[in-house]
Amino acid sequence: MSERPVLAVEDLTMHYSIKAGAVRAVDGVTFSIERGQALGLVGESGSGKSSIAMTLLRLLPDNAQILRGKILLDGVDIVPLSEERMREYRWNRISMIFQAAMNSLNPVYKVGEQIIEALEAHLESAREESIERVRRLYDVVNLDPGLIVRYPHEYSGGMRQRAIIAMALACEPDLIIADEPTTALDVIVQDHILREMRSIQAELDMSMIYISHDMAVIAEVSDVVGVMYAGKIVELGGTADVFHSPIHPYTRSLMSAFPSVTGKKRELGTLTGEPPNLLDPPEGCRFHPRCPYATDVCSNQEPPKVRRGNHWAACWNPQGE
Amino acid sequence: MARYLIKRTLQILLTLFIFLSIVFFLVNAQPGDISHVYSLNPDLPPETRAKLQDLFGVNEPLWKQYLVYVKNTLTGNFGVSFSLYPRTVADVIGERLPRTLVLFLTATVLSFYLGFALGKIVAWRRGGWVEYGSTIGSVTLYTVFTPWFALMMIWLFAFRAGWLPIGKFLDPVEWREAPTSANAVFNQMIITMIVLSVAIFAVFLFTTRKRVAGARLIQAGSIVLTAAVVAGVWIASGVAHLAWDIVEHMILPVGTLTLISFGGAMLLTRNSMLETMREDYVTAARAKGLPEKQVRDRHVARNALLPVVTSFVFSLAFAVDGGIIIESVFSWPGMGQTLISAATTEDLPLAVGAFVFVGIFVLVAHLAADVLYVYLDPRIRY
Amino acid sequence: MAVSDSPPTAPRSLWAVRAALAARSFKQSWSMFRGTRIGIIGLAIILFYLLLAAAHPILMNTVWDEKIYDPVVGYAFDETRQPAPPSWSHPLGTDPLGRDVLSQLMYSARSEFMLGLLAALITVSIGTTVGAVAAYFGGVVDTVLMRLADIMIMLPGISVLIVLSALIGVEHFELALIIGILSGFGGTGVVLKSQALSVVVKPYIEAARAAGGGPVHIIFVHIVPNLLPLSFLYMMFTVTGAIFSEAVLSFLGLLNVRMSWGLMIHTTESAGYLLQVGEYWWLIFPASLSITLLCSSFYLVGRSLDEVVNPRLRRS
Repeated sequence: MSERPVLAVEDLTMHYSIKAGAVRAVDGVTFSIERGQALGLVGESGSGKSSIAMTLLRLLPDNAQILRGKILLDGVDIVPLSEERMREYRWNRISMIFQAAMNSLNPVYKVGEQIIEALEAHLESAREESIERVRRLYDVVNLDPGLIVRYPHEYSGGMRQRAIIAMALACEPDLIIADEPTTALDVIVQDHILREMRSIQAELDMSMIYISHDMAVIAEVSDVVGVMYAGKIVELGGTADVFHSPIHPYTRSLMSAFPSVTGKKRELGTLTGEPPNLLDPPEGCRFHPRCPYATDVCSNQEPPKVRRGNHWAACWNPQGE
Repeated sequence: MARYLIKRTLQILLTLFIFLSIVFFLVNAQPGDISHVYSLNPDLPPETRAKLQDLFGVNEPLWKQYLVYVKNTLTGNFGVSFSLYPRTVADVIGERLPRTLVLFLTATVLSFYLGFALGKIVAWRRGGWVEYGSTIGSVTLYTVFTPWFALMMIWLFAFRAGWLPIGKFLDPVEWREAPTSANAVFNQMIITMIVLSVAIFAVFLFTTRKRVAGARLIQAGSIVLTAAVVAGVWIASGVAHLAWDIVEHMILPVGTLTLISFGGAMLLTRNSMLETMREDYVTAARAKGLPEKQVRDRHVARNALLPVVTSFVFSLAFAVDGGIIIESVFSWPGMGQTLISAATTEDLPLAVGAFVFVGIFVLVAHLAADVLYVYLDPRIRY
Repeated sequence: MAVSDSPPTAPRSLWAVRAALAARSFKQSWSMFRGTRIGIIGLAIILFYLLLAAAHPILMNTVWDEKIYDPVVGYAFDETRQPAPPSWSHPLGTDPLGRDVLSQLMYSARSEFMLGLLAALITVSIGTTVGAVAAYFGGVVDTVLMRLADIMIMLPGISVLIVLSALIGVEHFELALIIGILSGFGGTGVVLKSQALSVVVKPYIEAARAAGGGPVHIIFVHIVPNLLPLSFLYMMFTVTGAIFSEAVLSFLGLLNVRMSWGLMIHTTESAGYLLQVGEYWWLIFPASLSITLLCSSFYLVGRSLDEVVNPRLRRS
């Protein structure tokens, strides 16, 4: 495939500066997504997954700075863009499904109105057309179009999440970032919604980034998985490769923290220790203080990339094989 | 909704009843009860005294007096003022209440409008001297000793500069040859004000609801047009200079009051904005690529408005109460002045009447706040 | 020979544990409070006026002649014209009745503090009890107390004080009592009740109940101590309200007090010097500025305590 990737992130580094120093939330992250592909980012909370999402939309608080790297959206680097140009990219090219559907709808406006608002910010269309479009979007996400004129508090949790998805689809963006899209929902609704998202994505040939701490969710929806630890991607590869033959010890321990229903019986591994303090992350491999396979070299030198086909991990002591 | 309002109204009526009872027993608890004051007052001719004694049922037992008192209060019969004899309390209040209301309505609306507008901007651009300066200024205005501040305003703008009258409601010299009474002119002014604000409000509502093109132009045009019509009508009426005299007397107290409550309104808006800005739907609005101004006004400010509205209605409710100081310093003959002079001259019927009225006003304002809240926050459905 | 085993640690009483905890949280709070800056400014102003108040009796007994410097009945025989402008012997001049303004100012500071403290104590005692009782018992008790609070909140405070001052003679104590009742049964009570509600559901309350603790025991030993930080915060705001009300009432001449900052301005007003701020600034500025400063200092301390007590307001 020689087609240009929809999104290519190169060496992205973002810090928050707080009183105590710089929090290295995103550190030298590189990945790319082809058209129609779904990338899953998985990791513990505080590993920088959501920070990446916010950086891609350039929705960072005042104390955050993008220090290095490029975010190439269809070949255009959006890091140096002015705020006004960036505004045109938001939602139109990259949209987002937020973590807390409950709180990402403004309680004082009708839900339909909030979708139309996004449409009107980017498209020159008459109001009737916009309403018609919201109607079709509601169809796509299996919501009753009668709900368009209802307020968020009149929706159930699942309905809200569907409305948020409809909203994210509104401007037919190239890329949708879904940040913990189903965490707040119960398991059955969660499953339904994930399946729908998957089929909508295939139908519209969109690219997606799923962000979750839940391996099961990521495994279900993504083609490619990136495992994040302490602001870095430590392992990246096809979903089947990463989950069936993980290279990085961190990925292995994450895997073993989840029981497998179909697999053979095994000890549930537990990850000891705390995730590192990003104000002062460990030297060398950031995972070494918690790593059962750590050697001397881990604690003072950056680990090299170990490649197995399209699947790589940054580790001194690669596992498996 | 209807059920809630009925419930709330009943609650407020109960509160009013308890309030009236407290007033009654406070008045009766002191040595030399209300009947004594009446019958000993030498200003009263014997027949009036007899009538009043009859009216108040002085010789009846306490509980019967209480019933009579409640009945009289509810029918608007507060008795006759001592200090302004032979005017009835209801008559005095009927004259003074509009003066207070106009003063405070204008000042409260102005201060909240300005406070909200500035608080919005200050919260949006955190840091820098704008935020620092306006916060310091607001805290100062919020905590300053009001009479002193009012005095300084009088001293600066009326005494030193001589731009505005020092106090009072009107200038007697201007009115010596006046064809009508001050009350008549003032009532006309109130009607004008109501018509004007309803018209402008209607235009604003219409243009924003219907998304008419060139809304700004229509709004500005309508303001100019209504203002011109009103000015024309007033000039034709021939009492425009008298109305202007009253307006001149209003500028300083309204300005002072506006400044005093402006500080609180701005601080509240700022804090409420800062809190709302952390909400997820604000991030979502930004992510949608909405223009900054739209995020600020439609998403942050609209939600930050709720506590400000509550505070607005509360300050309206307590306008008469808090305004006592301003009215006293500016010798503005409103309810507050009336209450003070009644208290200092021991004009008991007037003091109690004014007090009960202030209480009723507060209760009604609370009810209005509840209704407004339902309109502003769709989540509230009782 | 070493002592073989240490004696079993004496069971420390609940209050000792609490005192230790309080000391620790005080240290934490203090360092947070220090970071707010506005709180420090407020505290500095309060300290300044405390010093003024404390210095007055000392000066009266040493340097100042009682006949001249008494704040109420003194007369500045050394001045030919009253009110006299500031001089070495009268740093803030004299008032229209020939009394030393500085002496009045210092004398009044003490009564302002007494009034503020008294009003705050009454408010908070009532408010804490009301809050704890309403939260603990719930049901009818709660309903009655909260309806009462509604009424108190809706009462127009200054008007009430004015009417009462016409009906009964109001002095400092009565003023503090009225403010305490209005605020304690009203706003402060409601806030403390919502705080108490979060205490009532804590497991240790259930444990105390299971151990046979009666309502009085639970309310005053387990609930009330947990309300103290918030009560302390509300004391600050009550002080501001009390000083302000006192100043307004005595400015209007409705209060029976010997001397106060409000009364000083009242005296100026009745002598007709009110609008001659330019020439007779010492008759208006010291008292007015003192009222403003002391009111705002307690307000500032309250605001920064609010940031300490209320994590929602903390800056990230």
